[in-house]
Amino acid sequence: MGSFLVLLLGEIQRMKKYNILAASVLISLIWIGIMHFTGIHDVTQIFPLFIFLDVTSMSILLIGVTMFFEKQEGIIKTLMVSPISKAEYILAKTFANSISNIETLIILYVYAKLFKEININMVGLFSAVVLVSFFHSLIGFVFTYYSKDFTRLLMWMITYSFVFMTPVLLEQVGMIRNEGMKKIFYVIPTKTSMILLNASTGGIKPWEVYLSVFYLLIISILLYFVVLKKFDEFAIKESGV
Amino acid sequence: MFGVKNLTFKYPKNKQNTINGVTFKIKEGEVFGLLGPSGVGKSTTQKILIKLLHKYSGEVLYKGDDIKSYGKNFYQEIGVGFEMPVHFSKLTANENLNFFKKLYKANANTDYLLKRVGLYDDRNKKVSDYSKGMKGRLNFVRALLNNPKILFLDEPTNGLDPKNARIVKDIIKEFKQKGGTVLLTTHLMNDVDELCDRVAFMADGKIAEIDTVKNLKVKYGQRKVDIEYKNHETLEKESFDLNHLGMNEKFLRIIKTKEIITMHSKETSLDDIFIKVTGVEKHG
Repeated sequence: MGSFLVLLLGEIQRMKKYNILAASVLISLIWIGIMHFTGIHDVTQIFPLFIFLDVTSMSILLIGVTMFFEKQEGIIKTLMVSPISKAEYILAKTFANSISNIETLIILYVYAKLFKEININMVGLFSAVVLVSFFHSLIGFVFTYYSKDFTRLLMWMITYSFVFMTPVLLEQVGMIRNEGMKKIFYVIPTKTSMILLNASTGGIKPWEVYLSVFYLLIISILLYFVVLKKFDEFAIKESGV
Repeated sequence: MFGVKNLTFKYPKNKQNTINGVTFKIKEGEVFGLLGPSGVGKSTTQKILIKLLHKYSGEVLYKGDDIKSYGKNFYQEIGVGFEMPVHFSKLTANENLNFFKKLYKANANTDYLLKRVGLYDDRNKKVSDYSKGMKGRLNFVRALLNNPKILFLDEPTNGLDPKNARIVKDIIKEFKQKGGTVLLTTHLMNDVDELCDRVAFMADGKIAEIDTVKNLKVKYGQRKVDIEYKNHETLEKESFDLNHLGMNEKFLRIIKTKEIITMHSKETSLDDIFIKVTGVEKHG
């Protein structure tokens, strides 16, 4: 078994043991509760919004939580003297995150299919979740690198939500209608994430989808190299040097 | 096995070098002790040797090749035993070991090792339920699980009761007998005396002294013999230089004519040498 697969399976095992997956299921149930009490029967249009909240904020949080556990327990030290590369470590965490996001997606979809009406391109949504989750997991790494403790990580998350997520959510619910503002939002990754998730419901112009995929891919690749480069610095600091 | 030449390292936030031109060799199959007071650069030196720190100057060779030329497979041959716990606390000891074992090409029999260190019956307990000593023993097993060729051990007997400390020291000796190489960092001079073939004392980022334990004891020992003997009804003490003792007439007369009560050659302990060489008294 390759090191990446060992690390990925290890991440999933620990997400279970540390009740991180259980917390993720609990949050899915909260989304289901909200969906249930909105009284909207056809949830096609609001469905991507729940997935957006989960894939963006939960991805950041899950990376932070697992890395803070590892910091506390001295695991990073021993991983650094194991035959793994930092790329394998980073990718195993981001893929484990995607699995958690997909779990939420499936739970919400099953509920919507059984109790509501939903018309969605699941393959498109699945692909969007993987890409958006990958990008936001990397954001989670950056926030963890620059957080001394979990409180500081939460502060980073709140700041990110306020600056990048709130405008997109306001636009999504129709509170921002200014076309100029909407165009400016294209530069923020949460907007392109939302476009990709919305694309699964139809009604998004193809060029918007292509642009969003391209943009999110490029910034994900750039961010990946930043995360990779800064990892040594972080790990050495955390290993008690 | 390791060749370190003129190694110098400075932490970015420090004004002074932590390591200043350190040169030494670790031979294959020996137990090498790296000793010194806290903050003199022992851990930093060890971290460079296990490739945790990269921005150093000087040369570090492993099996004749620059350590920088080795990739992640370097760790297939290395076992590192940390002083502090390094395990997933909500996983059992077995789950921890099984996870790490899968990362290596070679695996030791961890059941056997767990039995040796007295953790086999507790292998399915969560590590969070372990005592400090149990966690230390599990760290030791973790360091050995890939059948390493070289072991880096930081205070391996710290926090262990005498029985378990004895077991750990015995395993280190067996590892050496099988051809393994050990770099040992510890403050316990009894462990050094028992385990190390050679030791290096570090002080102020430099190697202050490096030699076999025996040679150091000879070098720093007071070559004297103390005699207590009965002179009529009183007990008297004399001290003689060991050099040319056989030609010392007074010494010869005493042992021929007096009743000897005790006779001891003065041997300096490693603790004394540690204090003398590293200047630990000077620093308080």
